[in-house]
Amino acid sequence: MLSCAEFLAEFGDYLDQVASPELRTQLEEHLRECKTCRVIVDSTLKTIKIVTDHDSFTLSPENVEPIVSQVMARVRRKTTPGS
Amino acid sequence: MVPFAETGQAAEKDSAIFIEIYGFVPSLFLAQGALATSEYDLINTIILRGAALARADKHAILSAVAAAHGNRYVFALHKRKEGGLTNPALAEFGQKLARSGPCVSKHDVDLLSAIGLNDRAILELVATAALGNMLCALADALNPSLDPELTSEPPPRLGPRNHLWNPNFGPYLQSEASIPTELASLLRDQYGFIPALFRSQALWPELVGAETKALELIVFNEDHLTRVQKESILLAVSAANLNTYGVALHRQVLSVLGESTDISDGIVDGLSSSCLRANDKALLTQILRFRGSDVGRFDSTGLIESGFSQQQILEGIVTTGLGAFFDTLQFGLGTPPDFPPRRVFSEKDLYPGGRDARLTFDAAVRPDPDADLVARVQAGETEAFEELVRRHMRRIFGILNGLFDNYDEAHEAAQEVFVKAFEHIGSFQGRSKFSTWLTSIAVNTGTEFLRQRKPMIPLDEAREEDFRPRRVMSWDEDPEMLFAAGQMKTLVRDAVLRLPQKYRVAVLLRDINQLSTEDAADALGLSVPALKARILRARLMLRESLAAHFLPSEKKNA
Repeated sequence: MLSCAEFLAEFGDYLDQVASPELRTQLEEHLRECKTCRVIVDSTLKTIKIVTDHDSFTLSPENVEPIVSQVMARVRRKTTPGS
Repeated sequence: MVPFAETGQAAEKDSAIFIEIYGFVPSLFLAQGALATSEYDLINTIILRGAALARADKHAILSAVAAAHGNRYVFALHKRKEGGLTNPALAEFGQKLARSGPCVSKHDVDLLSAIGLNDRAILELVATAALGNMLCALADALNPSLDPELTSEPPPRLGPRNHLWNPNFGPYLQSEASIPTELASLLRDQYGFIPALFRSQALWPELVGAETKALELIVFNEDHLTRVQKESILLAVSAANLNTYGVALHRQVLSVLGESTDISDGIVDGLSSSCLRANDKALLTQILRFRGSDVGRFDSTGLIESGFSQQQILEGIVTTGLGAFFDTLQFGLGTPPDFPPRRVFSEKDLYPGGRDARLTFDAAVRPDPDADLVARVQAGETEAFEELVRRHMRRIFGILNGLFDNYDEAHEAAQEVFVKAFEHIGSFQGRSKFSTWLTSIAVNTGTEFLRQRKPMIPLDEAREEDFRPRRVMSWDEDPEMLFAAGQMKTLVRDAVLRLPQKYRVAVLLRDINQLSTEDAADALGLSVPALKARILRARLMLRESLAAHFLPSEKKNA
C-alpha cells in the first residue's frame, strides 16, 4: 500500500478527477485506511472550490470599457502613419 | 457559485419525481430552488412519461450527451452500471446533436428510421438529447458539487469532431398532427403566432405542454428579469449555437416587444458593437462566457456588483438552459424558420479556422473562439482588435492584479499586455489558443514589472522543498457558510497573496482563471507534469493557510 508521502505526491490527478484507473484504485485503497489523508483530500477540494468561487482580483464589468478605450487609443496611434 | 448552493429546496412534488428518477434530489436542482420547477415538467415528461424509448436508453443518451460536453456532473448523474443501450445508434445521434447540432441532417434522421424508430420515438430521442444539453448548460453555470450518491468518473474523451455542415432545413419528421387548442392559444397570445418549432412536435402534445409550462414559469413572466432581457438571452444563446431558426424567432419577438433591430443585430453579430445597456451587456457576456469556452466558470460576483439580484442571475442561467433545449430540438427536427432569417449561419461560423482545420479539433479542445477576430487583425483590420481586448481584459487584469496586489499597477500592465499583443499578433500562428498566448504575455509582462520593483519579493524557495501538510483536523462540512461573501474574498485574497510568486501564478491561472492544465502549462512554458506538481503544492499551501478559519464551528468555539 502507498505511504502517506507517496499518496501526497500523487494525488493531484485525483483532485482533478483525471487519475488513471490504476492510480485511482491505489489512492482509494490508501484513503480507506488513512483518516489523515482523507481529511487532506476533503479540505483540499474545499480549498479549490473556495478559491475558485471567491476571486477578488478580477476587474469589475463596469471598469472594462474605459480600459478597452485606453488600449485602443494606444493601438490606433501605432497604426497612424507618421506616428 | 456559493449564492446558488444556498438557495434551496425543491418543492415536494418535484422532489418525488427527482427521487423516482435519480433516487435522491440532485444538487443541480437544489441549487435552483423554486426555479427547478421549470425543469420538473420537462424531465417528468421526457424521462418518466415518454414511452417510445426505454428509460435505460434515455439515461444512456443523457450520459452520452454529457460526455460530448465533457460535463462530469451530468455524466455522473446519468451513467448507469447496468442496462446498456438497445442500439448504439441512439447515443451516436444524441452526441452528434450535442456536439455539432448544425450538422445534423435529414440523412441522420433517415438512418434512425432505417433501424426501426418511428417518428414519435425519434422525437423522444431528440427531446432527450435536448434535455441533456440543457442540463449540461445548467451544470456548467451552477457548478453543483457532486452528490454523495454519485461516483465521480471522468466521461470518456471523444475523437475529433468532423461533421459536415448541413445548410438545409427540414422538417425531418413527416407525421401530421396539430397542437391542442389551449396550448395553441397560449402560444399565439405570447408570440402572435404559433412558432413552427412547436408545430413540429405536435406528435407529442404532452411535450409541447411541458415546454409551454417551462416558458410560462421562466420566460413569459417578469418576476425577476424582464421579458426583453430574457428574449435577449435566448437570442444570444441561439446566435452562440449558430441556430438560424432561433435567431430569426427571438429577433422577431424582440422587435414586437419594441426592441430596436439594431440592438438585436448587435447581440447576434457580437456584443461589443451592440448598443445594449451596459448592465444587460454584462449579463449577456457573462452568460455566454461560461458556455464550454476556455475563459472560466460563471462569475456571479461581477453581475451582483452590476446590480443584478441573485434571483435575476439564476433566472438568466435557467433561461440559458431553456435556450440550449430549444436550439437542440430545432437542430434535431430541422424546423424551418418562421421568418426569412436576416442572419444565416454557415460552416465558416462553426470552423472559423477554415475547413481543414476542423480535423485537428479535439472534443475537449474546442475551436479557438478568437480565431476569426485574430485573422481579421492580422489582415490589417485594427478595429477588430477591440473585441479581443474586451473579451480578455477582465481575465488578464485579474492575473496581473493577483500578481501585484496593486490595482493601479495592474491597470498599467494590462494595457501594456494588449499593446504588446497587438504589436506581435503577426507572429501568432495559432499553435496555441489566442487566450493562452495572451496569458503568457501577461505572465511575462507581470514578472518583468515585479523585477523592476525594489526590493524584490523573495521567492521563498526553502518553504517549497520541505512543504508538508501540518493542519490535519477535518474541516467544516460547508466552510463557505461560515463567513459572509466579502470576508471570504478577503481570506482568499490574503491566502493567495501569501503564496510565493511562482505558486501564486499557477493558482491564478489554473484555479482562479480556470485554464486547463495543458493551457496553464503552455502559458507558463512548463511541461504538464511540472505544472501539475506546482499546482498541487500551491493548493496544499493554500489549504494550510486557510485551515485555521474553516474548522467546524464547534471546534473553533471550544
